[in-house]
Amino acid sequence: MSSIFWLSIHQLTGRWRIALILLLAALPVGLALIVHFAAKGEADFNENFTNVLLDGLLVAGILPIVTMALATSSFGNELEDKTLGYLTMMPVARWRIILPKVLASLIICGPVLLTGGIVATLLGFDGEARPALAVAAALAAGLLTYAAIFTWAGLVTTRALPFALVYVLLWEGVISSFINGVDYLSVRGYTLAIMSGLDKSSFPALEDRVIDFPVAVAGAAIVTVVFLLLGVRRLRRMDVP
Amino acid sequence: MNEPQPVIDVKGVSKWFGSVVAVNDVSLQVYPGITGLLGPNGAGKSTILHMITGKAACSAGEVTILGQTSRGNPELYRNIGVMSEHEAVYSFQTGRQFIEFTAVMQGLNPIAGPVDRAIGLVGMADAQNRKLGTYSRGMRQRMRLAAALVHDPQVLVLDEPLNGTDPRQRLDFHDTMTRLADEGRTILISSHILEEVESLAATILLMVSGKLAAAGDFRAIRAKLDEQAYKVRVVTGSPRKMAAALAGNDDVDSVSIDADGELTVLSRNVGELQRSIPRLAQEQGIRLMRVEPMDDSLESIFNYVVDR
Repeated sequence: MSSIFWLSIHQLTGRWRIALILLLAALPVGLALIVHFAAKGEADFNENFTNVLLDGLLVAGILPIVTMALATSSFGNELEDKTLGYLTMMPVARWRIILPKVLASLIICGPVLLTGGIVATLLGFDGEARPALAVAAALAAGLLTYAAIFTWAGLVTTRALPFALVYVLLWEGVISSFINGVDYLSVRGYTLAIMSGLDKSSFPALEDRVIDFPVAVAGAAIVTVVFLLLGVRRLRRMDVP
Repeated sequence: MNEPQPVIDVKGVSKWFGSVVAVNDVSLQVYPGITGLLGPNGAGKSTILHMITGKAACSAGEVTILGQTSRGNPELYRNIGVMSEHEAVYSFQTGRQFIEFTAVMQGLNPIAGPVDRAIGLVGMADAQNRKLGTYSRGMRQRMRLAAALVHDPQVLVLDEPLNGTDPRQRLDFHDTMTRLADEGRTILISSHILEEVESLAATILLMVSGKLAAAGDFRAIRAKLDEQAYKVRVVTGSPRKMAAALAGNDDVDSVSIDADGELTVLSRNVGELQRSIPRLAQEQGIRLMRVEPMDDSLESIFNYVVDR
């Protein structure tokens, strides 16, 4: 498995991808710095920081976009340049191909995204560790779930990126914000619920609008496992070009 | 005495993509030794090789290799070496890293010996530490062949392995394949060029338009093919004089001259004709500019086989 992991790391660490990840991960830190100095002490600072920066920018925007850029490419590139045949002609179980691919996406974007999230939260919450850790854990859960979904998408279609973008913008961005019940089937909903569940006192703005913490954890776990299994099934059944 | 069991057994296999039938009810068997899978581009060779190696599902029928189904059976790849027609490689790896990666994935341990042996077999030891992205097409082909050989498989399935190779590399390939076949391996090689396989494979499978047009001993099929008359185009400085000379030749069935002064010669003995033409031209003092077969392509041969 480690051979495929390192191969995937090499394939996914193109210059533009790394530059995009670093740029997007730095965005919440930059904004947190600005609001830290400009709006600190205002009555609705906490609510605005949580809703706009953590939810609107980090969870609804940067997290899925960065994961999508990497995870859809982990198989997408191999399908496009027709190197996937090398992996599928090896005597290894299909899950041993899927898992290192997902792990490679996580290892590349995880540390950068989590660091950005932690630093931004520390700036917004006066260096308090608990909300920063809650954000980190929630982002990690969201990252894993998105990575499983987008890795599968990269195997299903060569146009995974535009499809994933539409899914992120419409389902996770718009529909999950305005239609009740969609949170139960939304990675954004799981991420915010985990964030709130781990530190209710720091994120009061989320409390009334997120699903229960155990439901969110179970939902994220189920979606991750389901899409990993779908990926394995797809790799078993597809005609490899 | 028991009949020998085929190593590769294809039973009533078809493959269609929507309304397009790429392979139509093909049954074939491959035994130890070298078998050539011949057919023009678009005949369905690669599609059937994909089904044989389990890369693609059969729309109908079934394929077994060494008695096991090849689709959805990754363990079988320990005994099969596959070289696909796509020339894509991981261009950031060196040739040696590519073979080492394959060796590790095949579960070999230690890998140094098999990797050295495979690279040596294809004569790439000197270039093994260069990045694959810097290789010529022929060098990439050889390294891909080394990857197919590194785990010393019992069965080799090679799709157009000689694409991009030079005559010297073809000779080396010929020697390597012959040696591997002599050791008891089963080798299936596809090609759209008759001459590539002619000297290599004793048994051939001819595919045309998704169907198996003929199968069996190469020489027997070739002998039957030789019964048909072939067209040869001859371009000379004196077409009428050359036509007159050719008309008296026993190997020539007919000669015609077109408006451009080019000769079309019909013959059932092309090999002999190719030797006669330069001799006749020299005897008559005629300047010979071009002699080329007009229909010695696989398409025409296959059309002949199919139409018989």
